[in-house]
Amino acid sequence: MQEPTFLILTALAAGAQHGYGIMSDVTRISDGRVRLRAGTLYAALDRLKADGMVSSDKEEVVDGRLRRYYRITDEGTAALAAEVRRIRANAAVAASRLGLAGGTV
Amino acid sequence: MTWTAELEGRSGGVPAGRRVRMERRYRRLLTLYPRAHRREHAEEMIGVLFAAAEADARIRAPKPVAWALRTGQHVADCADLVAGAARIRGRMLGQRVRQAIRSSWIVRDPRWSDALAVISVIAPLLLLVAALAEFHLPQAVASSLTGDPHWRPTATLGLSDLPLAAGAPAVAVLALLRLRRLAGLAAIAAAIGQGPLTGYASPVVAFTVLLACTAAAALLLSPGPGRGLALLTRGGAALIGAGALILGGFSVGGDVWLASPGGFTKGLGSEVTGLPGDLLIATVLVAVAVGCLRAPVSRRVLALLAIPVIPYAVLWQEKLASDLFGQAGGASASIPSSLPLLYLPPLLLAGVIIAGTWVARRRAIRQGTPASPAGPRSAVSA
Repeated sequence: MQEPTFLILTALAAGAQHGYGIMSDVTRISDGRVRLRAGTLYAALDRLKADGMVSSDKEEVVDGRLRRYYRITDEGTAALAAEVRRIRANAAVAASRLGLAGGTV
Repeated sequence: MTWTAELEGRSGGVPAGRRVRMERRYRRLLTLYPRAHRREHAEEMIGVLFAAAEADARIRAPKPVAWALRTGQHVADCADLVAGAARIRGRMLGQRVRQAIRSSWIVRDPRWSDALAVISVIAPLLLLVAALAEFHLPQAVASSLTGDPHWRPTATLGLSDLPLAAGAPAVAVLALLRLRRLAGLAAIAAAIGQGPLTGYASPVVAFTVLLACTAAAALLLSPGPGRGLALLTRGGAALIGAGALILGGFSVGGDVWLASPGGFTKGLGSEVTGLPGDLLIATVLVAVAVGCLRAPVSRRVLALLAIPVIPYAVLWQEKLASDLFGQAGGASASIPSSLPLLYLPPLLLAGVIIAGTWVARRRAIRQGTPASPAGPRSAVSA
């Protein structure tokens, strides 16, 4: 799973969000390291929707702007959980080889 | 709807003139996206782009730095829009290519495609039964059912029997593993290996050669056994299984009664070679045919199955004549096997099917309607 996909699913794991909300949340989650832009975000959402990991939720108009909310599906939650397990296992191995205390980072 | 009109005079942090230029640029870049994506997401994306631009505009910095920051972010957003369009179009292209590879050579008419898919299950199964008949296994099963003691399994094979004996299991296993193209090629090899042009006018060889050819066409030109199994009902599968056993048990090994001197045929016992056997075979074939007439896909399955079964009819009428008149080969009462008699009618039928579907397709294209009406596909009940 690519990092933007991982971060988008992580943002949606907390609840349904609209496009700009996802972008802001991803920046927050990655501690400012990743800034998603509209082109990347909507290309990723398009793919995630096609893969059944994300679905459209409600729509609303705020200050004359259309906001469509997206939510993570059960399939997306399972994929994210699997990725978390994979990253955690890899991190544990790396930490133990580096001799970090307790094998955790 | 334009955001400019909506936001005119509002303190969004982006001056109105700049907002107009930005929106024009965004809309131009959004034309790079597929129409469906644009229809669904364009307004939403512009909203997100302006929300981000407004957040950038609120950053406090000396004027030249702020200008450089804003311009840099806008250029980056524009470049990202182009990259996003390229990603989406690239993915769509990949899907189309994969779809084209998957569906290449597959018959377009869904009813014929489904019929071939069902045949891709039945034909390898019948071919396997024919191969097992080389070892007298179905005959032994049939004998045990009828109480005839003459059939015993054998491990002795002639060199000419090897292509079928080895090819049929290979086709069945590859089809089972969903490797339909490889299975189709194995079926072609099995057909060629049996040497239909050697001049030997055997209905049994014609049956298995044409069955291998039908299996190859079905495996290569249809979505394959997965789709075929999904279409087969339980009753249809049971009837086909019974038909396979009877064809294998009572007819595929039939060269024994046909090629032998008259006395030998009588010695086999009436259960297998007599009129009850003929009637049983006829009953199963009629039952399969009647069951197949119920649905459009089943009718096509019947037409395709008829291709290999036609030589079997020659075999059957020889057997019937033999049973009625008490002599192997039926003496003068039967029509003797010959290569044209065995191969021409099936080839003519195949030609009629191909020509018929071609004409139907041309007519549908001329009338601007699909070759087959869309709708629920019929399950195969026989």
